Amino acid sequence: MNPTNENAAPSYTLNCRMAQEAAAIERLCQVVRIRGFRIASMAVEAAGDHFEIALTLEGSRPVAMLQSQLEKLHTVAEVAVKQPAAKLARHSA
Amino acid sequence: MNGAQHILDAFHRHHIGTVFGYPGGCIMPLYDALVDDVGVEHVLCRHEQACALAADGYARASGKLGVCIATSGPGATNLITGVANAHRDSIPMLVITGQVASGMIGTDAFQETDVLGMTLGIVKHSYLVDDAVQLPEIMEEAMALAQSGRPGPVWIDIPKDILLTEVESPTRTQSPAHQSQTPDLSEALAMLRDAKRPLLYSGGGVSLANAEDSFRAFASASALPGVVTLKGIGNAGKHNPNDLGMLGMHGSRAANRAVDECDLLFIVGARLDDRATGKLDGFAPNARTIHIDADASEINKLRATDVALRGDLNGILGAFTRELDAQPLAIDDWRAQCQTWRTTGGFQAADNEEPLAPITGPAFIRQLSRITPDNAVIACDVGQHQMWVAQHYHFDHPRHHLTSGGLGAMGYGLPAAIGAQFANRKSTVINVTGDGSFMMNAQELATIRRYNLPLKLIILDNQCLGMVRQQQELFYNNRESHINLDDNPDFVAMARAFDIPSLHIERTDQIRRGIETILAYDGPMLLHVAISREENVWPIVKPGASNKEMIDEPKRTTTAKKEQVA
Repeated sequence: MNPTNENAAPSYTLNCRMAQEAAAIERLCQVVRIRGFRIASMAVEAAGDHFEIALTLEGSRPVAMLQSQLEKLHTVAEVAVKQPAAKLARHSA
Repeated sequence: MNGAQHILDAFHRHHIGTVFGYPGGCIMPLYDALVDDVGVEHVLCRHEQACALAADGYARASGKLGVCIATSGPGATNLITGVANAHRDSIPMLVITGQVASGMIGTDAFQETDVLGMTLGIVKHSYLVDDAVQLPEIMEEAMALAQSGRPGPVWIDIPKDILLTEVESPTRTQSPAHQSQTPDLSEALAMLRDAKRPLLYSGGGVSLANAEDSFRAFASASALPGVVTLKGIGNAGKHNPNDLGMLGMHGSRAANRAVDECDLLFIVGARLDDRATGKLDGFAPNARTIHIDADASEINKLRATDVALRGDLNGILGAFTRELDAQPLAIDDWRAQCQTWRTTGGFQAADNEEPLAPITGPAFIRQLSRITPDNAVIACDVGQHQMWVAQHYHFDHPRHHLTSGGLGAMGYGLPAAIGAQFANRKSTVINVTGDGSFMMNAQELATIRRYNLPLKLIILDNQCLGMVRQQQELFYNNRESHINLDDNPDFVAMARAFDIPSLHIERTDQIRRGIETILAYDGPMLLHVAISREENVWPIVKPGASNKEMIDEPKRTTTAKKEQVA
């Protein structure tokens, strides 16, 4: 990704905690894709009966819309979104 | 009990008396259990898609959970259109499919498909049961989930060995009932009182929340002029003088004009669908918004709202009603203006006085609306006839109007009518369809005959895919492409082949007698109505355009048209 490209889609860090069950990760990724975001990186860690998932996402649509769609998933316990510091710094430069 | 018997046990405990299904290899243990079960009526449709659509129609007409069952592989894939339809329109549905035995999953076994993977985007939630002990709990959770909050389809995929495994009944504990708190209305109430031109905009969420009575009480107390979405038709009842009808692409001029002029939109259970709003930038350009919905993700999804009220519609509308009963709104001038628009900009269709004239779709639907009883259920398919019903039939209740709104699935109407008839055994249920849509699930004539359902079928036959033809005429330089259906079968003879009596009409003076004949007949009957191929639905907004740019009938081109063959 070109950091000087003003037209680049905004980037976000999204952390999600969801129950471990069949197709949990696919379900999450399906919602991310259909709601207009691209996964730049993804880390998944099993913690008890949950997954702790960290995603870096890019997309031009409002991220709050994605957050509310993810929160609707039955097996999602928590979703937190923040813009990465590097991106914020670049925008403020 | 084995897994299959636990499923039936759950049906009994939740008073599920009717299910729609089709047997096959991996679901056979459940069908074997059905042999000994007299408490559940299993309706055998002739295609799995029809099972899902019938379950959808049953749920919409009754307000209860719809249930459909199929086997693995093609049984499951055939369900998909019906389940997607339920998902798009938020219909409570439980889907149960057999799957190949646990040890065979992932081996490309006979009739194996990855049902869980391929259906993720069309369900509210889904399960692949991998431990028989969990099945009773999953059944409970799935049925509750399908009907709670914003309803939707929940799919349980069950390997054959799990259906056969003996499982002890779990100890059940009663979950405490969830109490929904009514949000603070003060800001919304102040906005409503401050508005000079407030407009009520309601959708399918009203009946999904079983909030019809609360909505009508609110509509009466506020006396707000109102518009409805396709799925909200009937919300206000057929005698509400402030109802301006459907808005949007095929909405009334009165409804779209009121939206354009209003200074406050009071949105109840609607999701600002593109067919309703047209180009968003031009939708209600001068209005602030109050948005009431059960689903938080619908609020601010397409348009930022000024006040969001999330929660139970009954509680919220009830609280508004109490406030407005105590102090009514002072908007007489605006109401009078909307009444004027209603008089001059409602859906127009002149009744043809010439008895030998060909039948037009709108004139036929208006006659149907006059003749049928108030509690008749009309199940539409998709296309021009669907819009004529939405425009010209006067519904007294949203559960009387079954239509595929979000997905727009041709083939919906006939199986949905079957489901509605099972939900209302003694009601008049009518499938109004087109010649294109009818052929998509025509095999269900056999289901009607098998159960001797007194369904009435009306085919408005223009020998083409009329809505596609209309858009090709208006927006594709009249270049007709693959819409011709003039080689349709003889529908009258076709119905008779299923032992369903039928009647053909083609002249205006035959409309009343045709409708009265099928309504009076004690059993299923089909009315075949020949209409003009060239007739269009008016008005229309070009897809992507603003609702302000409504088009009335343009001059037709007179050049010969040829069907283009690729």
